[in-house]
Amino acid sequence: MNEGTEEDKDIVKVTPEKLSAEEVSQMVVSPCCGAVSLFIGTTRNNFEGKNVLRLEYEAYVPMAEIEIKKICAEIRQKWPSVKHTAVYHRLGLVPVTEASVILAVSSPHRGESLEAVKYSINALKARVPIWKKEIYGEEEYSWKENKECFWVKQDKGSSLKNRQESSTDFSEK
Amino acid sequence: MSCEVLVLYFAKSAELADVRSEHISVAQRTTSEQLWEEIVSRHPRLAALRNHVLLAVRQEYIAIGDQLLLLQPGDEVAIIPPISGG
Repeated sequence: MNEGTEEDKDIVKVTPEKLSAEEVSQMVVSPCCGAVSLFIGTTRNNFEGKNVLRLEYEAYVPMAEIEIKKICAEIRQKWPSVKHTAVYHRLGLVPVTEASVILAVSSPHRGESLEAVKYSINALKARVPIWKKEIYGEEEYSWKENKECFWVKQDKGSSLKNRQESSTDFSEK
Repeated sequence: MSCEVLVLYFAKSAELADVRSEHISVAQRTTSEQLWEEIVSRHPRLAALRNHVLLAVRQEYIAIGDQLLLLQPGDEVAIIPPISGG
């Protein structure tokens, strides 16, 4: 591949398949980049003292892909040196400890890709139509709500700043 | 004038409506509030989601309120409960 002529890529995948950090990071490596920043969201075995047996994700897939691509476009505006981005989100049953989401961003130097990967996971939680059900037992489960979800009124407190940021981002589109 | 649109239900809204998708006939010129009320009249248990839910029309978020929509036959309308991706 010719260095310098390589096209910027935004790779988006919403899939029932198991995610591989190695595969996602390989999607964004570039000869012109000295940094790949990766975020891996994994499923946890507890919530507020309850034992979580498993998690199930569902998505409005075509709209989720559109919303993720909007986030990728915003990253390119904010950090023009970013080379490639990849956002993979898993659907269906995700056993505890496995990855539900993996984001990767490459850039020539580390600062931009580190900031961009943080921005993209926060934006994803605020506005990409994906849902998670936490299952605690045979009859006991809960549909989760992200504190970042941009239209849900929260109690004033720690999440207020995030919400304001995400509302601003949304209205800028 | 009315037209037939495809309504998609997700997560908690799919459980409350007990359906994941259906075609319904609605007024072509409608507010998002009227559209929501029409959907709730078919599935009264959805009323529990009021103040927590957004619509997506043609895959764009629309708040429930007095915004006027011009629907076309075959348009996709989705019920979007609070999200929890990531």
